[in-house]
Amino acid sequence: MTKSDPIIVANDLTIAYELHRERKKLVALQNITLEVDPGEFVVLVGPSGCGKTSFINAISGLVPKASGSVTVRGSEVTGPGPDRAMVFQDYALLPWRTVESNVRMPFEFQNLGLSEAEKNKRVKECLELVDLTGFEKSYPYELSGGMKQRVGIARALITSPDILLADEPFAAIDAMTREAMQAEMERIVMETGQTCVFITHSIDEAILLGDRVIVISYRPGKIKEIVHVNFPRPRMNNSDVKTSKEYAELRDHIWNLVKDEASQTNRGE
Amino acid sequence: MAATKNKSLQQFDTDDPNRIQDIGWTFKEVWRRTRGTVVVSINLITFFILWELIVIYGDINPLFLPKASDMFAELWVGLTTRAPEGAVFSGSILDHFLHSFNNLMFGLAIACLIGIPGGLLMGGNKYIESILSPYVWALASLPRIALVPLFILFLGFTTKMQVTIIVISAVFPIMINSWAGVKTTEKSLLAAARVFGANRVQLYVKVVLPYTLPFIISGIQQGIGRGLIGVVIAELFGGSNGLGYLIQRSADTFNTAMTFAVLLLLIVMSLSLINFTRWLEAYVAPWRNVNHI
Ligand SMILES: Nc1ncnc2c1ncn2[C@@H]1O[C@H](COP(=O)(O)OP(=O)(O)OP(=O)(O)O)[C@@H](O)[C@H]1O
Ligand SMILES: [Mg+2]
Repeated sequence: MTKSDPIIVANDLTIAYELHRERKKLVALQNITLEVDPGEFVVLVGPSGCGKTSFINAISGLVPKASGSVTVRGSEVTGPGPDRAMVFQDYALLPWRTVESNVRMPFEFQNLGLSEAEKNKRVKECLELVDLTGFEKSYPYELSGGMKQRVGIARALITSPDILLADEPFAAIDAMTREAMQAEMERIVMETGQTCVFITHSIDEAILLGDRVIVISYRPGKIKEIVHVNFPRPRMNNSDVKTSKEYAELRDHIWNLVKDEASQTNRGE
Repeated sequence: MAATKNKSLQQFDTDDPNRIQDIGWTFKEVWRRTRGTVVVSINLITFFILWELIVIYGDINPLFLPKASDMFAELWVGLTTRAPEGAVFSGSILDHFLHSFNNLMFGLAIACLIGIPGGLLMGGNKYIESILSPYVWALASLPRIALVPLFILFLGFTTKMQVTIIVISAVFPIMINSWAGVKTTEKSLLAAARVFGANRVQLYVKVVLPYTLPFIISGIQQGIGRGLIGVVIAELFGGSNGLGYLIQRSADTFNTAMTFAVLLLLIVMSLSLINFTRWLEAYVAPWRNVNHI
């Protein structure tokens, strides 16, 4: 395999939020330098509030950076673009729209040259994928948290974006469905060659899905360590992976890294 | 591949639409749905009967408190007759009601035409907002009744004056609510629409406006309440028709039953309008006020 140019490059990226009441700035992320290759699956882990969402938002173009740069395919990110889709931590579904209409939303804003029939087919496929067939006409307030999250996943997949940014997409989903969704996620990414930046609090999920696991430290968020995961794919329905010694070691290692940071979180607050 | 997933999910298909069951029309269900109406009806009937009995047996001067039955009789007669063509200072309750109601509707319509676009513009553009907001707050905080003498001076005892007072009373709640709706549009919804490619116009049309719609309706609801005050005040101060005028005249002529009849009519009108907007709000925005037990 020839090494291609990285698709996402964060160079010395710092993100700060203004705290209006105090005339201060909160540095959420500091000096992040990271390159993501096309088709790579990168997982971010770290304690709550360490800046994972901020990082993914910088890639999607939703938060302005304080210094440094983020480029996608060589061009500086200045705002959202059709090459990047996102699954939001808080679902962000339009409450006045049905499930179907929420999933279809990206088609209304992006002209992909698809016919109505093709769009319908795509909506149907994506809803099937997240197992929500039969709920097309439901409204978000009629769904459980996990179901809403799955609508958000379907919406992000509908345009088959090159880059998928997923902010704890499976957090509200029960263990069994979660496993099925993880398998689907791995399959989609393997089949389509999508690049994925994925946030999770589950170390198992990080190891099972990620080519690399980026451990972020607490305030200001910096990259603490990058852990490479080299298990062959598909990993999800391969019980050898989870039972291997290497898996247990990786798990312990990442767990210790995160635990260190999390204990600082508690001290800091 | 989807098949393998479905298999693993089969044993606990919690999302199966077949779970939705028909409740049916059991006695309990009928009672649950009509309970509220039944209780209110019994309550009101008891209230009016007690009223009647107290006036009859309590030796109360009917000049201060008429019998409930007299009030209803007055209301009935007033609503089923019309004044003869050309009569100026008389007129039945219905005549005056229609005058007030038409004014109110006309005034509310103008208030909406000014208030909704005004509020949306203020919410959408921070320059317009910073220019207009001091005036909006100033006028909104001024008790509207204080302006009545001024409008009488400008416009005389005319319908135009009455409508102007209704507009000035109703426009600010409508404007401020629309404005607040735009300003409070959930950031994450805007973020989602932007990520999926919405431009500024699309953001406004597809996110901000639908989000603001229920705010606009509750603005109109408050506007109705204020507008109604405006109607009555304008007619009390000056004019020769409308329900406010009728209250004044009936009290002056010691026709207390008529006064009470008009008050009752005002209550019914106000409650009906407000309930209509409540229903409208729930209808267009069922996602608000959803109480999961
Ligand atoms: N809009 C904002 N304004 C001010 N501060 C913010 C804003 N968004 C995030 N922050 C701060 O930035 C820091 C990082 O937030 P971020 O949401 O990126 O964390 P996270 O790693 O995604 O956490 P979690 O795992 O809980 O989702 C937090 O301390 C938070 O208080
Ligand atoms: Mg987050």
